Amino acid sequence: MAPIPGRPAASPRPGCRSRGVPGRELVAPTVVAILGALAYLAFPDDLAFFTRIIVAALFVMSLDLVVGYCGVATLGHAVLYGAGAYAAGILCVDGLTDPLLLIAAGSVAGVVAGLVTALVILRAHGLPQLVLSIAVVQLAYEAANKARDITGGSDGLSGISPGPVFGLFEFDLWGRTAYVLALVLLIATLVVLRRVVRSPFGLLCRGIKQDPDRIRAIGGTIYGNLVKMYALSGAVAGLAGGLTAVTTGVVGLDSVSFEWSAEALVMLVLGGAGTLYGALVGAVVFTGFEHYVAAVDPYHWLFVVGALLIGVVLALPAGLGSLAAWLRRLLPQGAP
Amino acid sequence: MNVLLSIAFDALAYGMVLFIICIGLSVMMGLMRVINLAHGAFAMIGGYIASYVAGPMGWGYVPALVCGVIGAALIALPLERLLYRRVYGASDPLVQVLMTIGLTFCIIGATNFLFGSAMRAIPLPALISGPVDLGVRTVPAHRLFVIACGVVIASGLWYLIERTSFGIRLRATVDNTGMAGALGVRTDWIYTATFALAVGLAAFGGAVGAEIMPLDPYYALRYMVTFLVVVSVGGAGSIGGALVAALLLGFVDTTGRYLAPNYGEFFFYLAVIAIVFVFPHGLLRRGA
Amino acid sequence: MTAALEVQSLCRSFDGIVVADNISLSLAAGDRVALIGPNGAGKTTFVNLVTGTLKPDAGRILLAGVDVTAVSDVERVRRGLVRTFQITRLFPDMTVHEHLMLALLQRAEKTGRLFASLDSFKDAGAEADDLIAQLGLAPVADVKVRALAYGHQRLVEIAIAVALKPKVLLLDEPAAGIPHDEVLRIIEALERLPADLAILMIEHDMDLVFRFAERVIVLAAGKIVCQGTPEEVGRDPAVRAVYLGSYASRDRDALGPGPTVGRGRA
Ligand SMILES: Nc1ncnc2c1ncn2[C@@H]1O[C@H](COP(=O)(O)OP(=O)(O)OP(=O)(O)O)[C@@H](O)[C@H]1O
Ligand SMILES: [Mg+2]
Repeated sequence: MAPIPGRPAASPRPGCRSRGVPGRELVAPTVVAILGALAYLAFPDDLAFFTRIIVAALFVMSLDLVVGYCGVATLGHAVLYGAGAYAAGILCVDGLTDPLLLIAAGSVAGVVAGLVTALVILRAHGLPQLVLSIAVVQLAYEAANKARDITGGSDGLSGISPGPVFGLFEFDLWGRTAYVLALVLLIATLVVLRRVVRSPFGLLCRGIKQDPDRIRAIGGTIYGNLVKMYALSGAVAGLAGGLTAVTTGVVGLDSVSFEWSAEALVMLVLGGAGTLYGALVGAVVFTGFEHYVAAVDPYHWLFVVGALLIGVVLALPAGLGSLAAWLRRLLPQGAP
Repeated sequence: MNVLLSIAFDALAYGMVLFIICIGLSVMMGLMRVINLAHGAFAMIGGYIASYVAGPMGWGYVPALVCGVIGAALIALPLERLLYRRVYGASDPLVQVLMTIGLTFCIIGATNFLFGSAMRAIPLPALISGPVDLGVRTVPAHRLFVIACGVVIASGLWYLIERTSFGIRLRATVDNTGMAGALGVRTDWIYTATFALAVGLAAFGGAVGAEIMPLDPYYALRYMVTFLVVVSVGGAGSIGGALVAALLLGFVDTTGRYLAPNYGEFFFYLAVIAIVFVFPHGLLRRGA
Repeated sequence: MTAALEVQSLCRSFDGIVVADNISLSLAAGDRVALIGPNGAGKTTFVNLVTGTLKPDAGRILLAGVDVTAVSDVERVRRGLVRTFQITRLFPDMTVHEHLMLALLQRAEKTGRLFASLDSFKDAGAEADDLIAQLGLAPVADVKVRALAYGHQRLVEIAIAVALKPKVLLLDEPAAGIPHDEVLRIIEALERLPADLAILMIEHDMDLVFRFAERVIVLAAGKIVCQGTPEEVGRDPAVRAVYLGSYASRDRDALGPGPTVGRGRA
């Protein structure tokens, strides 16, 4: 059967880049690994700062799973992160010192927090959903604040001193161990998540985001699958939280705050939602800006972020990450 | 008994301030379908202008309120043309959320640059600065004034929307923008007018409520969530809903603070979750 | 033999306006039935009632003899009841191939698989390519549907339905909104559907109805007013009355190609 005449008969498989090219999934993680190694070599004094960026990137990737891939509106994602951070911190204070176990525990706590959050907020849509997510994070914040005996309340939880990684690598003053650990976790997470978003489940979630009723009409369920994605997102957010507890040795109330949730959303949108690597770009740009501008004056910082946000939302709706794709299109055909 | 009265009175005053500020937001959300997180920032602008006019310029309270309202509307209108217009009814609410959060950040930064980070007061005239004896209790006159303002605004809006030709056009546009446009209603003008009205009300609320909700550059962020919650609970676009929600949440919040000062926020947000669960489309809305 | 789909005395009204008035019908495997009627007759509402998107006020729906009136819409799809949409409902940011993969994997209950790469489902991939080729969509297989011509989108709607391997297929105006010369492609696609599939097609295009249906049911104001072979229905004065009532003026004013019952090729 001939194609409908008068339509541009697209050249064979445009946009088919993701189909059937083996090894393509490994490109992005490799790039991240190389950049991470370069950063380690070039700026050995800034490793603690880079570790913070990685933690933020993990958290924003976790947010991307529910916002970018499922279309859930949330301003309360810090609940998942904070659960992981407090779980790892509290367990460590109580005597569990293996850093990997602590991070794993944080991840599990993140899953639990993700399930609870999902149960509450997925019942509504749009504005009510947003408001429910805010209510959940505010409740969690208050709970952490009031449970001062366990969490340290507004003073923060301190005295977290994990043992060496694999019993071999002590956390050093320069933050080398912490950075390498964080980088490895980031790369591993990126590999796994890129796999997930390219799985049948990932495809289903994209469908749910675009038109949930249509998914029902092909026999797919919505609620259960969103809950599942939330659990996965919780695992990643909890991992980020656990990682921050282990690498910085403190957990503050801000890790379960509305502000942290909003910042993550800002980073996600800055970088571009629904791509995973947009989360990386957003975390780097935002945290980098924050580091240098906020050091001068926090209000100036707010102004800059605000202006950046407005600019991105209006001029570059797919995020700064899309600049790369945009540039690539400018290059002559055949260029990488 | 006395405690109860005082709670009820404070709650009423607080609820009225919430109502005055939120009603504009609610109408905007109902009409333009825009989640405007910068609404609190406009309230703050009104408050700051009023404090400047009543304080350093010394023009007195009423001119301060008037200047606050007009000034905020004048600042907001170009923003409506340049920014908001592009995101009205955007299919992805996140676009609106992020743009208006960005705007809020900018306004906070600018406010701090112009006025510094210290708290600002709006000096009250003698008439409403003292206590008033109601027989059962003495209460601050200012609270009475706020409550009266709330009542006047609620009835005024009701009249405007139910009884005037602007109201008819507004409701027609809310129900069906395309159809209203086809019938000759200038919908873009309705949008602009509504935006100005919403910002003016917010500015008024920010100014008269400054005693209850103190003004500093972070005002816009601190109350952002509260305003959003009131509108969501009341149901976007519903005056009655906003009034009930503002009073109810004002009551829950104030009572919580009085009776269990350490757990105030708990009550507030638990109430929010409960209400959204039971009335997902707003307190006074029927389904969908 | 039990009917593939049996609808018994289905009723539904919106705010007092009856849009489904005691509708009963039955489809056997292999049936090709057309449901026609003027705009607003309640055809789409009927589909929504049968699929479970809307709840009926009264009546029963049986799939292969099993009462599914209380069964969820999702579960009905899983039991082989599939519909298409009058206004295409596709995922704008997915390619044609992805649509078919999604449908095929959903049908095989594999959409829960988190850690398997899509590319590893070779069978589904080949099946999707097959369907795409059959419908002549190969040149646009990897184009996002938001960039597709409407005629192509219509074909994707049908392809999704086919990929779900239904036992009963409800087609809501599969040729609506596309130029007449492209209708042929839809017809060819429909003629290739498995012979044992029970199909109910809503359609205004009488060429399509006459070519496709062995039996025609006419719905007006929520009621079945007549049914029979296309020829019988075309001759039935009641049908003419229904259409003349709502379309006579329209046809006369040549405001558009209204349904042409009784003309067709009878
Ligand atoms: N959700 C609803 N609420 C209220 N009325 C509805 C609803 N859905 C449909 N209707 C009304 O029911 C009647 C039948 O609509 P339906 O869409 O089923 O007609 P149809 O036969 O499919 O028409 P068309 O040929 O135009 O597609 C119409 O008058 C419509 O306005
Ligand atoms: Mg229809």
